[in-house]
Amino acid sequence: MAYTLDFSTPVNSALLIYILFSVQKIIFPSTSTPKAIPTEFKHGYSWMPKEHPPTVLFKTYTPKTLEPFDGKSGGRILLAINGIVFDVTAGRNFYGPDGMYGNFAGRDASRGMAKQSFDLDMLTAIDQPLDKLQDLRPDEIENMKGWIDHFSNKYIICGKLVDNDAA
Amino acid sequence: MTISDYLVTDDLTVLLGFIGVSVFLLQNLYKPQPLVHPILLGRQSDAGRVRNPGESAIYRNYGTGLMGRFPVRPDKDVNVATDFVKPEFDAPRTLWSTKITNTQLKARVSAFGSGIAKLVPEDSIVLILLNDCIEFIITDLALSEQSIASITLSSPKLLARVLEMHPPNAIITDKTFLPHVLAATGDAHERNHTLIVVDWSQPSEIPIHSWDAIESQGKVPQAPKNAPQPGSAYTVSFFETPSGGVQCVQLSHENFTSGVTAIKALFPSAINISTLDTIVSSHSLSTPYGRAIAYAALFEGASFATLPSTGIFHDGDTPALDVADILSATKFPIPSPTVLFLKPEHVQSLTSSVIDRAKKSFLFPLAWRHKFASLTEGFVTKDSLWDRTVFGSAREDVLGKMADTVKAVVISGGLLPSDALVPARLALSIPLINTYAHGSATGPLFATHAFDLQMLPSSSPATEAAHVGAPSVNVEIKLINVKDNVVEQGADPIGEILVRGPSVGNMLSADGEAGEKNAWVHTGKTARVMTNGAFKVLGSV
Repeated sequence: MAYTLDFSTPVNSALLIYILFSVQKIIFPSTSTPKAIPTEFKHGYSWMPKEHPPTVLFKTYTPKTLEPFDGKSGGRILLAINGIVFDVTAGRNFYGPDGMYGNFAGRDASRGMAKQSFDLDMLTAIDQPLDKLQDLRPDEIENMKGWIDHFSNKYIICGKLVDNDAA
Repeated sequence: MTISDYLVTDDLTVLLGFIGVSVFLLQNLYKPQPLVHPILLGRQSDAGRVRNPGESAIYRNYGTGLMGRFPVRPDKDVNVATDFVKPEFDAPRTLWSTKITNTQLKARVSAFGSGIAKLVPEDSIVLILLNDCIEFIITDLALSEQSIASITLSSPKLLARVLEMHPPNAIITDKTFLPHVLAATGDAHERNHTLIVVDWSQPSEIPIHSWDAIESQGKVPQAPKNAPQPGSAYTVSFFETPSGGVQCVQLSHENFTSGVTAIKALFPSAINISTLDTIVSSHSLSTPYGRAIAYAALFEGASFATLPSTGIFHDGDTPALDVADILSATKFPIPSPTVLFLKPEHVQSLTSSVIDRAKKSFLFPLAWRHKFASLTEGFVTKDSLWDRTVFGSAREDVLGKMADTVKAVVISGGLLPSDALVPARLALSIPLINTYAHGSATGPLFATHAFDLQMLPSSSPATEAAHVGAPSVNVEIKLINVKDNVVEQGADPIGEILVRGPSVGNMLSADGEAGEKNAWVHTGKTARVMTNGAFKVLGSV
């Protein structure tokens, strides 16, 4: 029985060309490196992430500069205890405008943390000097320190709070 | 002609179709797997979430993490330097030219310690001016056990200054450097220190003790008065800064155990150091890093030797850092080296020799092309077809028997140019770990992942050095004098490297005052952090 071996049929030519092309690529692999470094690991082995992991700059805040950060316009939420400013944006449910403790956003919450109260009279007005916390009992100071530890573990310390004229 | 006329198939079609399918499968499925998954190389260090103005965030190795504790010892029982010599391990291994077991080494260490304790008063300072040899190790371990302070220098130019500022009670040196010591210490009647010389046998008018005599005097061991504490400092190392100044760092037992931990962590479990290894180092034992490498070899029970270029105290010029230097390690009776700690100049010289030899083969262009293609996929091996035909014989011509046994090379002691990295990886085809060490730390400050084969072109126009990877497992790094406005836009922070951690010693001020413990050390070098957490050291401040 004779086999028909006709290289000039279109299908055979196409297959032949494909085979020759692939064999050429196997024997002579490509050595070009992409001009732009890929930003996804799926796109190449030598890749780099597009951005650095986000970092926050440690800033000095005053009651007036801290106040806008109350989350009302969807921005960051900051809160101060004993002069340490915490970024509590991750806890928007608690400290956001409709949260249970929303009163404390953008303010010095030291007295409220010490006395375990979220009433508005725990907060000092923005244009007043910072609350010196001198009339707190030792156990209230302990309570406040406990809250500082809790916040340090859960949220980022991103600044310190000083008086309006000290900045 | 109808469509069916175009699509006429015959037996050849079946054959070609078969071949086409197998070629397709071969091309797409036979891609080599990368040695380390690229997703791990995208996050090599853990960065802090907050940074002070003018500084970068604090970076740590991703494996350690910002909240993790730094590993301080390679094993739970290793607290002081003499614990590196494990007594329960009894097989002999060769240190330079001496075949010795751990028990014999411990005996020699306590003998020398007792001998020297009889000779010098308590609270004395001993200046060690020895080139690398087994006597150096025994001296160092003995002094650490007796809690006698020792001083080492990274360069003979520092000798005059150290003699003036910290006059020692004893100087240990060897025969060839003795004349320099005598010249530097001045007249006989001013000399109020003891001289101990290695290999000293002839009588002399100046009172010189022979090193061997002291060791034999201590044959009845005398236990040290106070057991050494891990946190107590026992040695001070003087080194030069690039600007020509002198700095000194005080090192404790804990610094050295942390350094050994960091050096062990350079090698992943597939290529870790064990008793079957022979380590050859090009870093002098007078530097903290060089000594930590020797201690790592001691701890693992590996044989150890150093290259002639580590000799600091000698006459004449330093030997060139090239292949001949590497090959001179084979003149010691050690087993064929498996791990090499080399300087960038050695690696560049080795790479160019191997490639020059390989170019003699007519298959070289094809072999290079194939190996380069697999390198872009993250894979390289010593046993590929191209190594058997082209590169293997080139390596054997250049390195001799070592070509077969070397399994990893650690590069430190300088900056490797980035255009030398790919040729080195292809020519040697073994893991190349690029590290950065500093005179103040016993372990490397930065180290690349052993299987990292990424080819990252420099984003800045000037040719930068190859990247040195993430911070080592037990240090934390931050950069200062960083431009805030540039970093807030998302660019890479560039600044001076500050380092802190258990392997970094305590820097002493000019008049010998110790700084506060665990303070940030200014290294005097600038670096850039890349988005994947790897660092590129740029140069001096």
